[in-house]
Amino acid sequence: MSKPFDILVLIKQVPDQGAKAGINPDGTIDRAKAKRMMNPFDRYALQAALHVKKLTGGTVKALSMGPPPAAEILLEAIEHGADMGYLLSDRRLAASDTLATAYALHKLILHVSPFQMIFCGLQTTDGDTAQVGPQIAERLNLPQISYCEDFSLEGDQVKARRVIEGGYQWVHADLPCLMTVANSYHPLEYKKIRGSQKVQHLVRNENEKSKVIKTVTLDDIEADPILCGLKGSPTIVARTDKVAEIGGSCKTRQGQSVDLMVKDVLETTPVKEFLKL
Amino acid sequence: MSNTDDKKTQQPEPLQERITPSNKEVIIIAEQSDGIIQPVTYELLGAGRDLANKLGGQLSCMVLGESLGAEVQKLVTYGADEVYVADHPELKNYRTLPYRRVIVDFLSTFELPPHIVLLGSTTTGRDLAPRIAAHFETGLTADCTELDIGPYEHTNKADPEKLGLYPGCLYAIRPSFGESLKARILGPWNNPQMATTRPGVMIPLPPDESRQGKIIPIAVNIQQEDFRLKVDEIVREITEGISITDADVLIAGGYGVNGAEGFELLKQLADCFDNASIAASRKVVDAGWIPYKYQVGQTGKTVRPKIYFACGISGAIQHRVGMNKSGTIIAINKDPDAPIFTVADHGIVGDLYQVVPELIKQLKGANVTQEEKTLV
Ligand SMILES: Cc1cc2nc3c(=O)[nH]c(=O)nc-3n(C[C@H](O)[C@H](O)[C@H](O)COP(=O)(O)OP(=O)(O)OC[C@H]3O[C@@H](n4cnc5c(N)ncnc54)[C@H](O)[C@@H]3O)c2cc1C
Ligand SMILES: Nc1ncnc2c1ncn2[C@@H]1O[C@H](COP(=O)(O)O)[C@@H](O)[C@H]1O
Repeated sequence: MSKPFDILVLIKQVPDQGAKAGINPDGTIDRAKAKRMMNPFDRYALQAALHVKKLTGGTVKALSMGPPPAAEILLEAIEHGADMGYLLSDRRLAASDTLATAYALHKLILHVSPFQMIFCGLQTTDGDTAQVGPQIAERLNLPQISYCEDFSLEGDQVKARRVIEGGYQWVHADLPCLMTVANSYHPLEYKKIRGSQKVQHLVRNENEKSKVIKTVTLDDIEADPILCGLKGSPTIVARTDKVAEIGGSCKTRQGQSVDLMVKDVLETTPVKEFLKL
Repeated sequence: MSNTDDKKTQQPEPLQERITPSNKEVIIIAEQSDGIIQPVTYELLGAGRDLANKLGGQLSCMVLGESLGAEVQKLVTYGADEVYVADHPELKNYRTLPYRRVIVDFLSTFELPPHIVLLGSTTTGRDLAPRIAAHFETGLTADCTELDIGPYEHTNKADPEKLGLYPGCLYAIRPSFGESLKARILGPWNNPQMATTRPGVMIPLPPDESRQGKIIPIAVNIQQEDFRLKVDEIVREITEGISITDADVLIAGGYGVNGAEGFELLKQLADCFDNASIAASRKVVDAGWIPYKYQVGQTGKTVRPKIYFACGISGAIQHRVGMNKSGTIIAINKDPDAPIFTVADHGIVGDLYQVVPELIKQLKGANVTQEEKTLV
């Protein structure tokens, strides 16, 4: 049996694009109005982190960078079984691209270290780059396993299955290691009753809460503000255009009887042209 | 990606032109698998040729592997002026750290940095590119669908040091916010400017055997710490038999089909058509309900049938990129909010176990009437 692990999981709060609130007519997001949620891909990363804790014991710390409301997803992580949450929140982080985000998060990781394993989601639904994980691994000089679908621990190594074109591969890596977890990994299990009770307690008791959810600034983690936010970002979005919605024109039938819906589709599409004669 | 729009504020004094040092070279990092150059590399050479011409620089290609033989010359045939070859037994299969080492070492040897470095948005490119970009602290745009060169006026005073007119920027254009927006992302302050492009999007040049290009071996200095990850086994399913890329009609099933038996029903629907096949999402391939050769999507095949039925497929982005160029897309899903409806032309919200049998019934009926017509 291995010794208890210090496990880190990186989770981000993103706008809920399923809920129509806060989506501007031009397709951009009004972050103030949009409903918020944990990045769906990060739920798999959290599941992976909790799985390791089940195997090795130890602690799971959930780390996030974002404005103060992002503390909501840290509490959610605790409901699922994480032990602590760290929120890096600082105005100087505004407009960070992936390089600046990875820089800031790697400083946060060093601040909460030690660790044996770091889990990231595959990608975010708002940034959608899948870059932050590998860029953190580069900053920390760690081996990485991206697109991980399944893994087990073997001594002081992790054995993992990762997605590749045309199939998959089995790899093993030394710890410490950073993994990005694919959405073909196991879905996040339900909240734990004890976790929910703990969170209810924390919500009523600010003092207790501040011991479990730590909010830190760039100064606390000794990050260089020049490398963060707009200044630290080598890229900018110079322009956005709404895409002429090719598929947005989907003609959807709903609520009628199945034979009518099918008939309508067959009458309005060229499907019958391809029938066997 | 940051969200600074270039809102053109009234700016009386002209912006100063600023040039970030570079040697104007465009470098493609090739991808090989089992010693075979992957198609995305030829696509990148096609796109890179255009960028290099616009910049007035050379197009190069860097390839890592073991004894690649004649494959290397093909990179010239497809447009590279120079090919840098890292040949070493430890580079036979892709692994993040050794590849990262060789590329970072090599790119560091340039007196002036290359202007642009491009990779494919494959599981390999997206694993590797962020590490190289982070090492050089340069910009990287993932999953581009268009690339171009053009000028950029940075007028945002929030960061005064960056103000200026930058000629010859890489325009990295990619979908964002679930494909509803197209973002143009730039990073002219550091070189190389980096991007990955989606497989199947860029167009390769026609191969030209008479093209001349230089082949240059490069140094490989892998360190002990680069072996912290090992590849034990690579599992690829060989494609044989009829290909889903050739069918006019595809009946694709997803996890909603609920088991291997469900594909029997889809086969019955496929049997109604002349040149049709079943197809599948990755999730059902992973579940073992159907072999890999039927998989559509980012890590499966890109298909363009005339008709694509998506039955019980949620429409994750990795699936959509493999089928969104199909002729007519018909989605059948219980969930009206399933993302598949954003790429479909026609949709039926309902249980596929009711809809598909009804489709078969009505199509068989249609068939009978056609037979009757021929009889008349
Ligand atoms: C690196 C990477 C590469 C990937 N490559 C690919 C790829 O190449 N191809 C690919 O497809 N995926 C790929 N994926 C996986 C992809 O992200 C999705 O997980 C996968 O496509 C989901 O498959 P699905 O739609 O069949 O399943 P689900 O997402 O589970 O969707 C099932 C759908 O069926 C519907 N449904 C259920 N029952 C019924 C019923 N009775 N009638 C009608 N509808 C029903 C549900 O509403 C749901 O929408 C990749 C993922 C990663 C991380
Ligand atoms: N602001 C953030 N806070 C915490 N984790 C993040 C943040 N941004 C990105 N990540 C992590 O990096 C992964 C990839 O994000 P991205 O590169 O934006 O697609 C996410 O799934 C998270 O695990």
